[in-house]
Amino acid sequence: MMRRIVMVLVAVLALHSPCFAQTFGVKKRTPRPEEFGNVLMNNFAESSRTPIAPVVFKHWVHRTKYTCRLCHVDIGFSMNANGTQVHEADNEGGMYCGTCHNGKEAFGPRGKDEAGKAVENCSRCHSSGKAVEFKYVFAKTIEGYPKSRFGNRVDWMAAEEKGLFKLKDQLEGLSIKRKDLKIPVDESIKSKEIGMPEIIFSHAKHSVWNGCELCHPDLFGVEKGKTKYTMQDIFDGKFCGACHGSVAFSNLDCQLCHLKDVQ
Amino acid sequence: MREPAASQRGTARFFGAATLLVTVFLLGGRDAHGAGGWLIPPQQAPERYGNLLINRTSEAHGQKPAAFSHWLHRAKYTCRVCHFELYFAMQTNSTEITEEKNRNGEYCGACHNGKIAFGHTEENCAKCHSGEIATGSKEFGRLAFYPENPFGNGVDWMAALDMGKIKPVQTILGEFQPVKYNKEIVLEAEWERIPPAVFSHEAHNRWLDCSICHPDIFNIKKKTTLHFEMQYILEGKFCGACHLSVAFPLDDCRRCHPKMGQP
Repeated sequence: MMRRIVMVLVAVLALHSPCFAQTFGVKKRTPRPEEFGNVLMNNFAESSRTPIAPVVFKHWVHRTKYTCRLCHVDIGFSMNANGTQVHEADNEGGMYCGTCHNGKEAFGPRGKDEAGKAVENCSRCHSSGKAVEFKYVFAKTIEGYPKSRFGNRVDWMAAEEKGLFKLKDQLEGLSIKRKDLKIPVDESIKSKEIGMPEIIFSHAKHSVWNGCELCHPDLFGVEKGKTKYTMQDIFDGKFCGACHGSVAFSNLDCQLCHLKDVQ
Repeated sequence: MREPAASQRGTARFFGAATLLVTVFLLGGRDAHGAGGWLIPPQQAPERYGNLLINRTSEAHGQKPAAFSHWLHRAKYTCRVCHFELYFAMQTNSTEITEEKNRNGEYCGACHNGKIAFGHTEENCAKCHSGEIATGSKEFGRLAFYPENPFGNGVDWMAALDMGKIKPVQTILGEFQPVKYNKEIVLEAEWERIPPAVFSHEAHNRWLDCSICHPDIFNIKKKTTLHFEMQYILEGKFCGACHLSVAFPLDDCRRCHPKMGQP
């Protein structure tokens, strides 16, 4: 009884106190271009019996080589940071990161340096808080790529269209190659807000990276007009916000979607 | 009637004291922020309004803090150029500026490169790193040609824009078309006898970008922005992010609550 009263009291005081009021009504920090899309993976790293630095996963390195679909559908990575619950044993068994990071497709946990000496590669991924000399440096990687205003400040779509990198969408022994489906035409989506420009959604542009199955049917139903969502939902990381805002072009850039002026 | 057990008596006494404490706390809270308790910051000299000293790393590196005048910059560039395109935060000293980044064309260096504005060369150091918040006051005289306003810089910036006295650049990243969204919102005050605030998207769109305010400072879903109250605005949240320190100050009640003081 006593404990319950104390808890209620603490809750009431916390809700009323000005210190609770620190996080609303102010602008959040905009991540720097080299940080945009980076994910700190720390399900088990620091809490395991043999603690290790959390993994810093960089979308910008991986997206110059593979489609989103390959990892988020075929390999099964969740769309929420730390939602996948990857164990080291999974990776060693060829799942998740270990699907590619096995010493064949990409570097594995153990490898050899240029001189042929055996090296451990742990800190190439488990890099949080460490000074690691990475193979790929952001500024160098994006050199010459078409620019965009936000996120990584790279127009990834234009870079792919120009052939500046070739995306792998299938992995031998994992993906099953099927005939491509016909790509539906662009959709014009009306905003409920009067005067807000309409959204032009391109299936063709999205399917290069995502196929169909990354969005349908979980994020969006397939029947036209049946999925109801608001911009606030998107800002909260749902629907388009599953990617746009954290990885794909930032949803700061209103006019990249709200393209068509209405009268 | 049976005498209550000692533990129950203790609980009741504790509960009584706690209720009193909470009541006093809540009432105290109301009093501190309540009627007659608004603490509008004192007016500054017009040439100081919107000036700030940036000293995140300057003095730690043996350099005087950099003085920045909003009034000098806002005649030439809209807010969105720096606070949207150039990643400047909305709070003094929270932008991760370094001399190296400036020299690489980020932050101040995007314009202060010797081409658009004076560059980061030895002879120019003291132009910004003066350590004196009133730097540039000599040039303030030129603002005398702008339409007057009794508050802030003594300038009605909005009228200056309307009259074409200033023509601030809206983008430095190529083409830009503002979103044509001009909805006016009438915000009913929570207090009796306080007339509603009238918010114009059109007026704000001329300086800002949607994402400077949305979704961090204001939700976009109607009536879902929690704690949107005058007491927090006075703490620099919500409208106070700009209208305390840079945009027309809160002394100018009628500019937001146009019917204030009318029967």
